[in-house]
Amino acid sequence: MFLSASDAKSIADRLLTLSEADACVIELNGGDERSLRFARGGATTNMATSEVNLRVTSYVGRRKGSVAVASLAEEDLDSALRRSEEIARLLPVDPEYIEPLGPRNYPPTLRYDEATGVQGLEALASAASTVIAESAARDVHAFGCGSSGRRFAALATSAGLFAYDRRSDTDISVTARNRADSWSGWGGASEFRSSNLDVAGVARRATEKAAHDAPPLDIEPARYCVIFEPAATAELARWLMWMMGSRPADEGRSFFSKPGGGAKQGEALFDPKLTIRSDPEDRLAPEESFGYEGVPQSKRTWVDKGVVASLYRSRFWARKTDAEAIPFASNFTVEGGATPIEEMIRATKRGLLVTRLWYTNMLDPRSLLLTGLTRDGNFLIENGRVTSPVFNMRFNESLAALFSRIEAVGPTVRTWRAMSGGVVAAPPLMVSNFNFSSRSSGI
Amino acid sequence: MTLASAFRLNRGLLLDLADLALTLAQRGGANYSDIRLGETRRESIQAREDRLRDFSESSERGFGLRVLVDGCWGFYGAPRLEESSIREAVRQALDNARAVKPIQAQSIVLEELRPVESEWLMPMDVDPFDVPADSKADWLLAVTAAALESGADYASASLSFAKEERLFANSHGSRIFQSRTRTHPQLDATVVDKATGRFSSRESLTPARGAGWDYVLSCGLLAEAKRAAEDARRKLDAKPVAPGERDIVIDPTNLWLTIHETVGHSTELDRALGWEANFAGTSFVKPEMLGRLRFGSELMTIVADRSQQGGLSTLGFDDDGVSSQFASFPIVEHGVFQNYQMALGQAHLIGLPRSNGCAYADSPASFPIQRMPNISLQPNPSPTSLNDLIADVEDGLYVVGAGSWSIDQQRDNFQFGGQLFYEIKNGQLGELVRDAAYQGRTVAFWNALDGLGDASTYHLAGTFGCGKGEPVQSAPVSHGAVPARFRKVMVLNPEQGEA
Repeated sequence: MFLSASDAKSIADRLLTLSEADACVIELNGGDERSLRFARGGATTNMATSEVNLRVTSYVGRRKGSVAVASLAEEDLDSALRRSEEIARLLPVDPEYIEPLGPRNYPPTLRYDEATGVQGLEALASAASTVIAESAARDVHAFGCGSSGRRFAALATSAGLFAYDRRSDTDISVTARNRADSWSGWGGASEFRSSNLDVAGVARRATEKAAHDAPPLDIEPARYCVIFEPAATAELARWLMWMMGSRPADEGRSFFSKPGGGAKQGEALFDPKLTIRSDPEDRLAPEESFGYEGVPQSKRTWVDKGVVASLYRSRFWARKTDAEAIPFASNFTVEGGATPIEEMIRATKRGLLVTRLWYTNMLDPRSLLLTGLTRDGNFLIENGRVTSPVFNMRFNESLAALFSRIEAVGPTVRTWRAMSGGVVAAPPLMVSNFNFSSRSSGI
Repeated sequence: MTLASAFRLNRGLLLDLADLALTLAQRGGANYSDIRLGETRRESIQAREDRLRDFSESSERGFGLRVLVDGCWGFYGAPRLEESSIREAVRQALDNARAVKPIQAQSIVLEELRPVESEWLMPMDVDPFDVPADSKADWLLAVTAAALESGADYASASLSFAKEERLFANSHGSRIFQSRTRTHPQLDATVVDKATGRFSSRESLTPARGAGWDYVLSCGLLAEAKRAAEDARRKLDAKPVAPGERDIVIDPTNLWLTIHETVGHSTELDRALGWEANFAGTSFVKPEMLGRLRFGSELMTIVADRSQQGGLSTLGFDDDGVSSQFASFPIVEHGVFQNYQMALGQAHLIGLPRSNGCAYADSPASFPIQRMPNISLQPNPSPTSLNDLIADVEDGLYVVGAGSWSIDQQRDNFQFGGQLFYEIKNGQLGELVRDAAYQGRTVAFWNALDGLGDASTYHLAGTFGCGKGEPVQSAPVSHGAVPARFRKVMVLNPEQGEA
């Protein structure tokens, strides 16, 4: 269920008026979404859903209780309000209590297009049809998912804050596999506006990568020069951003902790070619207008030419450490460079071109050691040319190390949204001595 | 055991809404239709050191209507239980089915479904949703206090509860009421050496269960908190593991996750058919391997079931309305692959007559897809203790507790960490080592199995949240296991870049 700002505000205001707590916070979110999956040239499952969630958090004498309901019925909301107050009265005092935020100014949202938000399943079936036709033309199988919809989020406090944001989304992702089931390729894109979604381009990229009849080469896992396509760069950068919390760093349990205490903010920990920014007004990956606790998002640099510029921080931790409260950024941009991917390939004597990564997981937060595998388009580069598909491989590599060995950076593009829900704009990235540890037969 | 979880929603209302939806759907042209209506309640309580970080309750009521029109599925889900929403859902679901007709290359074909009228209510002593908030908070803060008193610098603990109440109804006349509850107490103890910048953590081994508050009180997390803090300190001072091929004995607290990733997911028929190729992946286990693939050694028998007490997938019927009696089957028997897990409309694609009851929708408003029942490694029928397994290892490791995990999209190449790795020297348990992980290829790994604990060593573990599908759905599932010995497994020290 999609609500306008005024509808969300009137629901929140009513509850805030009824609140008997010392302070109260209302969070509302919801939306409508349609999705369609297809495999081997035909539809499998589809969904159209409508959802809404309201969470009321009541504070009674620095004690907190929180109740959420997936309903806007007044009796459900009133019951949730009373229950949150009841829970708060039963619980111990919260030593990290911080009063709800008062009014703030928020940047405008650039992420909403009404027509995209309400388009029906026919549009997704049409996109799937384009992909299926392309796969038939290249004699490969296509498997994919398209989705579209719109969502809103609102936050109101008894201190007078009201924040509202909305976005529309449309996504397409395609995995193509050759007829022998021995090779695959992938493409994906996400846009706020369906007219910008290049379905044909995604289909072309996935099917071109898959259309190889020769069996993949079985090469020795070792350290290789790797060119990551933007989707792979985005995944690596997401992990880095998740680890950039101020509190774990200050507490000595993070890569960003300084021996002896404090955080490594301001230190040059990465290659000068790495810069990461977030900005609600960014052209490619605009950030939400507000973050955790209602703190406004603003233009922010996280890594500036290899130097750690910002770590995210709750309002409590900001007060305790006398620092700025910085909400986490789920939409951000890895700044691009001037080297096209074709030039990176030409400059590579022997290396790998990686389309995307799979099942990445943190092995050790102390060293930012990450594991994962290549997937759906892993190619050998020899003497400046892509020469052959190669079997996928597992890597064990520190994010700190790989982001310190950047050889070249290409132009930044908006990448597929993936499971995280946030949009990352990222460039192709050329990294030397990337550590592959074992083979995988998984295609 | 009592029926503390008796069905609390208004059954009459649910039945009326289901009848309306199915009647209108059939009238609108559906050849088959089904609907799931109900509520999922959740509670999450989190403590950190001496602070109760969060106490939150949530509930989600709604329904999901699925219609089959001329061989095409259409689906609509909504968070309301009211007549006007049902009428809108019927219209939208029928529209959606017709919208996909142009790309429905192969019609959806369903097996024969017999009408069932039944109910299944999970027995438990104390419903966690009936326990006062302050009792839960006090219990959780006692857990973190125990860890801090035992030397942890930081301690986080949580209690998670979920309760599903659902009515399944279909156009063949089935009407099935079900209710189940799950519980997960957890702890993470961390120690920090600020001088060197090193730190280490130990997560609890206490498993999630299909159970109530009585399980919380008996699960032993309070006692484990002390051990966890001590283990975290010992890990900090442990020597790095020496990488290389080693014999390993894997405790069930770790092995359950390996079973989940390598066996559970590889034997899902929708993956083998390519239906999950774009996200969760496919499988190295192909339909022509049924009854033929030597998946593991003779000792390896892995079964599916929905009847184990405490199982997170234990219930009477799946979300296609198929009885759990069909969900008891061997997946691997004496090392040979025997059965896929299947949902509605899949069995005929590999020449089988019907689903074996493995469908789940993570909310009433989600489309049911194939998900795991409880999947468990069967014990050794011959008396065998953990010490017996260790005694036959000259130079190896004993792995306890699940850690970092990763596996390729066809479920072949895997890498698993753990909470505790102990050396084994000349048949004796030795020192704790750190920075270890084991890596392998699924079939070679299971064929290297040469020792299993007996039934006395059996342990049921599991997770609240296994992700699959697009949009991603999260499913609870349990895995039982016994300690198992594997020969010549690659042990890594990824921290040193050794493979």
